[in-house]
Amino acid sequence: MKQWHCASIVFALVVVVSIPHAASAQNSQSSAARAGAYTPARTADGQPKIEGVWNPVGTFYNIQDLEFQARFQNFRDDPSRRGKSLIIDPPDGKIPYQPWALAKSNEVLQHHENPTPQYLDPNARCFMQGVPRHLNNREFEIFQPPGYVVIFNMAHHTYRSIPLNGGPHIPDRIKLWMGASRGRWDGNQLVVDVTNNNDQPWFDVVGSFHSDAMRVTERFVLINADTIEYTSVITDPKVYTRPWTMKLTFNRNKDYGSELYEEACFESNGPSLDLMLTRPGK
Amino acid sequence: MKTRLLRIVFSVAVIAAFARPAAGQAFPRAADGKPDLSGIWQAVNTANWNVLSHNAEKDVPAGLGVVEGDEIPYQPSAAARQKENFANRATADPESKCYLPGVPRIMYMPYPFQIFQTPNHIAITFEYVHAVRRIFMNTPHPDGEVEWFMGDSRGHWEGDTLVVDVKDFTGMTWFDRSGNYHSESLHVVERYTPMGANNINYEATIEDPKVFTRPWKMSMPLYRRVDKGMRILENECYAFGLEHTWLRPPQ
Repeated sequence: MKQWHCASIVFALVVVVSIPHAASAQNSQSSAARAGAYTPARTADGQPKIEGVWNPVGTFYNIQDLEFQARFQNFRDDPSRRGKSLIIDPPDGKIPYQPWALAKSNEVLQHHENPTPQYLDPNARCFMQGVPRHLNNREFEIFQPPGYVVIFNMAHHTYRSIPLNGGPHIPDRIKLWMGASRGRWDGNQLVVDVTNNNDQPWFDVVGSFHSDAMRVTERFVLINADTIEYTSVITDPKVYTRPWTMKLTFNRNKDYGSELYEEACFESNGPSLDLMLTRPGK
Repeated sequence: MKTRLLRIVFSVAVIAAFARPAAGQAFPRAADGKPDLSGIWQAVNTANWNVLSHNAEKDVPAGLGVVEGDEIPYQPSAAARQKENFANRATADPESKCYLPGVPRIMYMPYPFQIFQTPNHIAITFEYVHAVRRIFMNTPHPDGEVEWFMGDSRGHWEGDTLVVDVKDFTGMTWFDRSGNYHSESLHVVERYTPMGANNINYEATIEDPKVFTRPWKMSMPLYRRVDKGMRILENECYAFGLEHTWLRPPQ
């Protein structure tokens, strides 16, 4: 119970930050129409400019059921504005798990209120959030130095660099918490292929998971000066019966100016983290 | 003459943007004419074990040290604390806890890091515990009581040297595995000076009135990692040894 209490504090902090942005959620028109209507500025090296600090809209707690969080916390999302799930394909909004994987995911859900470490959200244990979770958590910053798009998260000081120059994939044996990203600009859309993911990050707090065979194809498009529309197509033949697609909206965060703070998650959690980690021999 | 100069500047900028310089070439320059520090770099020395000269031990390579004069001017009480740190280093070294290592230590740990450079903002991303430094150019440190593991970095150019003023540290980081330490009053002034196409001379002046009797200086070369396909990977120190607590899908 103590463990859950610690995790709750982490989540509560996150929710406080998220609420103002949920309130300004965009309604959904056709993304293609809106993408075509807006022409972003350019960076010095000619990239469509999507720099700035951004916040995902709404809750990350359960990507298949946006009202789920209200069972545990005084949280009110507005699902009427974007559907009950962040998953736009398949149409039922559910992750198309293979039967064994659905059973595994349900097992995590059953332990959600009083978890042992393996049922505790890896994000709450200060592990890296992975792709696409790091974009559906809290504020993040997009930076566009020549030839790259670099994304910084304030939570856990996570970063992801996306080289735009093609180049070879890294060996398949290498598995990374944040994966290996390779990007390109398709008109005003940033398209990113993410490989070499390890099997640890979840998509949300309640155990939606993938294996180390996951591949993610992301699209970022600025639809007006202050809104990015984002989709990620998730493919993982070890865990799902078919590819599935998650859609997120990012609103420009004007509270932080251009500078995020340092959040040393692992270092600062101290004794509460030790409880969550249960290292061997302790 | 002016046109020719412009053409040369432009050519250099193009080379800087698209190619890694070969040995013997000049240090690349960015579009704004400043040295372009972008790329993947690493120190190759033993300062992370001990910033002073030291003999080899098991799992410790010998080294000549990186400190000017090979001496750290500790105040008497601080010298005693350093000895205590050294005695307890196996568990007391913040690196043994996988903490963010602070500055300058992160710059000479045995892992690569990548510099991204624009005129107003330079970012450094590190392989070790995915540490990040953000260097904002020509701006003041924030107001108020700020204590960050990696400090707050503000940069400016002095000719071809990038000068970075770093303060607002915690007292929870050390300089090396040998107990050399500082307090939260640490103030570091770093100087990054290009020396040949694939080297930067890195110099850090260390000041901490609570621990040292005077400022002191360390310096070392940083080497460009020219390895084929080189990129920053991950070293998630604090996740090691916890694999038994991970939820794993059936293999």
